[in-house]
Amino acid sequence: MGPRIEMRGIHKVYPDGTVALRGVDFRLGPGEIVGLLGENGAGKTTLMKILSGLLQPTRGEIRIDGRPVRFRNPADALRAGIGMVHQIFTLVPPYTALENIILGQEGSNLWLVKDRARDQVQRLLEEVGLSIPLDTPMELLPIGVQQRVEIAKVLYRGTQTLILDEPTSALTPLEVDELFRFLRRLKEGGRSIVFITHKLREVLEISDRIVVLRNGRVTGEISTREATPELLAEWMVGRAVVPRVSRSPHPPGEPVLIVRDLEVIGDLGLPAVKGVSFEVRAGEIFGIAGVEGNGQSELAQALGGLRPIHRGEILLDGKPLPALTPIEAYRRGIAHIPEDRLRFGMALNFEVAENSILSRQWEPTFLRGWGRLDWPRILAFTAALLQRFQVIAPGVRAPARSLSGGNQQKLVVGRELAKEPRLILAVHPTRGLDVASTAYIRELLVQMRDAGKAVLLISADLDEVLELSDRIAVMYEGKFLGVGPVEAFTREEIGLMMGGIVPQGRAV
Amino acid sequence: MRRARPLLESLVAVGIGLIAGGALMLPFRYHPLKAYQALFQGAFGTPHDVMETLAFATPLMLTAVTFAVGVRAGLFNIGAEGQMYIGAIGAVFAASLLPLPPGLHILVATLVAMICGALWSLVPALLKIWRGVHEVISTIMFNWIAFHLATYLAIYYLAEPGRAERTRPALPTARYPILAEGSTLTAVIFVAILFCLAVYFLLWGTRMGYEMRLVGENPEAARYAGVQIGQALLWSFLIGGMAAGLAGASQIIGRPPAWSLYATLGNVATLGFDGIGVALVGRNHPLGGILAAILFGALQHGGRFMEYHAGVVSELVRAVNGLIVITLAIPELWTLVRRRLTL
Amino acid sequence: MSGFLSRLGWIVLAILGLGLLAYGLDQVGLEPISLLEAGLLAMTPLALAAVGECVNEKAGVVNIGLEGILLITAVVGVWVAEQFGSGIAGLIGGMVVGALIGLVLGLLAVYGRADQIIAGMGLNLFALGFTPYLLMSLWAFPGIHIFPRELMVPRWITPLGQISPVTLAAILLAFLAHILLHHTVLGFRIRAVGEKPEAVDVAGVRVDGLRLFTSVLGGALCGLGGAFMPLAWFGGVVKEISAGRGFIALACVVFAGLEPLLALAAAFLFGLTEGIAYAVAITPGVKERIPFYFVNMLPYVVTLLVVTLVIGRRRFPRTIGRPYTRE
Repeated sequence: MGPRIEMRGIHKVYPDGTVALRGVDFRLGPGEIVGLLGENGAGKTTLMKILSGLLQPTRGEIRIDGRPVRFRNPADALRAGIGMVHQIFTLVPPYTALENIILGQEGSNLWLVKDRARDQVQRLLEEVGLSIPLDTPMELLPIGVQQRVEIAKVLYRGTQTLILDEPTSALTPLEVDELFRFLRRLKEGGRSIVFITHKLREVLEISDRIVVLRNGRVTGEISTREATPELLAEWMVGRAVVPRVSRSPHPPGEPVLIVRDLEVIGDLGLPAVKGVSFEVRAGEIFGIAGVEGNGQSELAQALGGLRPIHRGEILLDGKPLPALTPIEAYRRGIAHIPEDRLRFGMALNFEVAENSILSRQWEPTFLRGWGRLDWPRILAFTAALLQRFQVIAPGVRAPARSLSGGNQQKLVVGRELAKEPRLILAVHPTRGLDVASTAYIRELLVQMRDAGKAVLLISADLDEVLELSDRIAVMYEGKFLGVGPVEAFTREEIGLMMGGIVPQGRAV
Repeated sequence: MRRARPLLESLVAVGIGLIAGGALMLPFRYHPLKAYQALFQGAFGTPHDVMETLAFATPLMLTAVTFAVGVRAGLFNIGAEGQMYIGAIGAVFAASLLPLPPGLHILVATLVAMICGALWSLVPALLKIWRGVHEVISTIMFNWIAFHLATYLAIYYLAEPGRAERTRPALPTARYPILAEGSTLTAVIFVAILFCLAVYFLLWGTRMGYEMRLVGENPEAARYAGVQIGQALLWSFLIGGMAAGLAGASQIIGRPPAWSLYATLGNVATLGFDGIGVALVGRNHPLGGILAAILFGALQHGGRFMEYHAGVVSELVRAVNGLIVITLAIPELWTLVRRRLTL
Repeated sequence: MSGFLSRLGWIVLAILGLGLLAYGLDQVGLEPISLLEAGLLAMTPLALAAVGECVNEKAGVVNIGLEGILLITAVVGVWVAEQFGSGIAGLIGGMVVGALIGLVLGLLAVYGRADQIIAGMGLNLFALGFTPYLLMSLWAFPGIHIFPRELMVPRWITPLGQISPVTLAAILLAFLAHILLHHTVLGFRIRAVGEKPEAVDVAGVRVDGLRLFTSVLGGALCGLGGAFMPLAWFGGVVKEISAGRGFIALACVVFAGLEPLLALAAAFLFGLTEGIAYAVAITPGVKERIPFYFVNMLPYVVTLLVVTLVIGRRRFPRTIGRPYTRE
């Protein structure tokens, strides 16, 4: 039997001139799970958006059961039985699961009668073995359940080919196991699945065949049985192995930051951080792992002076910190690499130089009399900063928008490290970056540690936390489930704690 | 090249606006080419006309600053109209009723107008900061309240005895000197340009301006940078109010022959709204605003010749203003233009 | 839902307050019936513009050019009425032109990815110049045009005073808009597209189609409101005929949190304010005591007060004012 789906010579050039795909061939057989592996920006998502009708290829053809097809929009692809679950969910937040599932297939043309569809949806869910509360608004459901709704939505349209884009990025290890069991059931039912990921472990576990993309080209294709992690990694990044950051072993010094019983209120008015205590010592990296949305952002914002403290206290160098403002936090020696540089860390339309003094614009160093900015000094400072932190920019007066993502992040990291802080608050410092920038920023954090600074690393990337940290904590629903030296935990234990389960004999 | 692009875009938008305006003349059997010829000849034909064009440009560059300084801080402040009315009233009061020595009188009248404009912007500013009331609604409501208040004051308290249609004229001691015999251009244009320069310097040369622009570009980054957002917004409103107040004053103590406010507010009306288009064409930059103001001043002054020679009502230039603004709102247009240029 | 009720509560309270004021005015010689008549007339254009804009903003499109549509359609409505010798024809003409303007703005927003606030403001500025230009070009008289009385759309005589059929239509349309949004498939999709256009797109429903539809609908209702002003209310058209009503309608929309029925209630509140102002201005014994200018400020002051007092943590569609593109 031939492949169900065949894509040939797919090219994609975005309107802004970015070349995403340079002649990709891809095929998918019935009852097959194909892992589509690659780094950020390798073109995985673009390729699958083309297959699901969301994007049109610049060149190349798609065949289904041997017949060439042309998808002008997602509806065309759905009619051909192809549906995609996007990494960023396409759910209407205030709508219930039922409403989200039936959107576009309401079963009537005029009046909205949801109960007619309800039976059908329920039958489908039973058939494939998904459990979903149908009448709760999406915005109140956890990510794992939202993902099930996304899948149910696609299946409700009679999909035979299911594309999943980085489906595990927001899931706990337990939820991942459950998802994998579900995918295998679907496969046994004869459906084909494309599984997009950059995680080697997962692709080796779930797929039958693996296709690796790099820079818009297929760099390798292999049956999973024959694949090794080393080979896949080489296809993915083009180099044999990414060197691990080396750390000098040395004993940590005095505690720099002490947090006692801290409680912080989140945006919804409910406690997001629920009584957390820990300390970060000079010369150590303390890593907080956990699935995003478990209070890490609120914790970081409280320490950075962006969110009031509801209860508890924060001590820096033994002295209690009062109600913090961002400026006060900096004055006391806290540097804050914020979780999302585009949202908090910089202004894209500002010049590189302007961004290099963001959060320091009030400092007398950069001012002359009457609150005037001392431009010559700012420009010199920026030039030095760019050089010291290997930021590649068209110029100090170029808009920050003209820098690549990695260089933007290096600018933000450099700006914060240049503050000569006592404590570095690094939140998702390498998220979404290319391999080289990621390695460089991790190296910088370790250098800071070796230089005797205290580093508090918050990251959703478990590998990053494990690689960099001296001690770690796992945060779940606003609390720490485990704190200790990194060697004291196995990966599996951490995985369990990220899902809210404290392993036997591991009381906090 | 990077700096030239905004200029090019503005010129294209102006061109499209003029063409669309010409299209609007066709159904009524006017002759667009004849009309525009009359307009531009009228605007720039003689040195005298150039000066008149500059006189028309003076208030526009100021009301453009009101809008631009708002946009830079992330506000859509369309309250220049009302702030200008109140500024004009302040100028009439100070210029016609306070007996002061020459020199000082001009200064006081100018400052009173600016303070009045700033005060009128204070309420929408505080409503925005404290209650989150959107400035589009609050400033428009304040424009209308200002319209009725200014009319009332002009008629009941400041009217010229025996002449109900206008207020007392500014005393000679409060009048800006006329720059050339027979022209309506006065030295107030220098004050206006100075004000634009000052705002430019403030926005790009001071911490306060940096923080205002940061609030406009990315409010969350501003919070992260320790900026007091309410304060930055307040200053944006107040500086805008001062600019509008000065624009009002420029029509009272800087514009012969009336040297006064008409009871209909006819000699200031719509200058505030016109400033929005001026600011957008000037890319919300105080200096770009000066250039754009001269262009719009030309349209307004030349519009009178268009009316005289081609019969086209001069108010059509306001419609052209709107068309230019609509054109500038469409980013896709620029992608198209750029593609055509690079191919 | 509690937001809905508390808002309704505010409106009832405010209307009661105004009723009390009306009673007070009655003591000095104003007639409550004429007040209600005037209030309903003033409500009509506000309600029409606001109800259409509610639906439009639910779909994630903002039109702050309502004022401009009101101005242009007022003039065009009169012209069409004169051409066809019928006020009704004028109302239809206003609707059609309003719909066309809505279509243009919709096209700019959906395909041109225009900044909707700037484009809408551009429309207002355009109307500011285009209206007097039209007045002059059509009737060769500056700033004002009075048309023959027989073109006026007749009012119905009811126990509550004379009521225009357009007023009833506006009330009906508010209810229809409510039903559309909350009980039909189309409304289900409109609300979804404002919150998450991606969801609608991947479900195979066209985002652009929905947004164009609401933009045209909003323009048409606003155009009816514009033509209503001269043809069923004032009996003539002046160059600043809408006098900020487009923005008061926006205030109604904000206040109503995009619910058409609440917008109708808010429009009635503001209409009543205007009715009182109008009544005060013409009633002998009162008009001499309160300067006309202060009475004229009343609708704007009340609008501002209501918006300030009642504005809350009302949620707006997430993608409001933002164009949609597939990445």
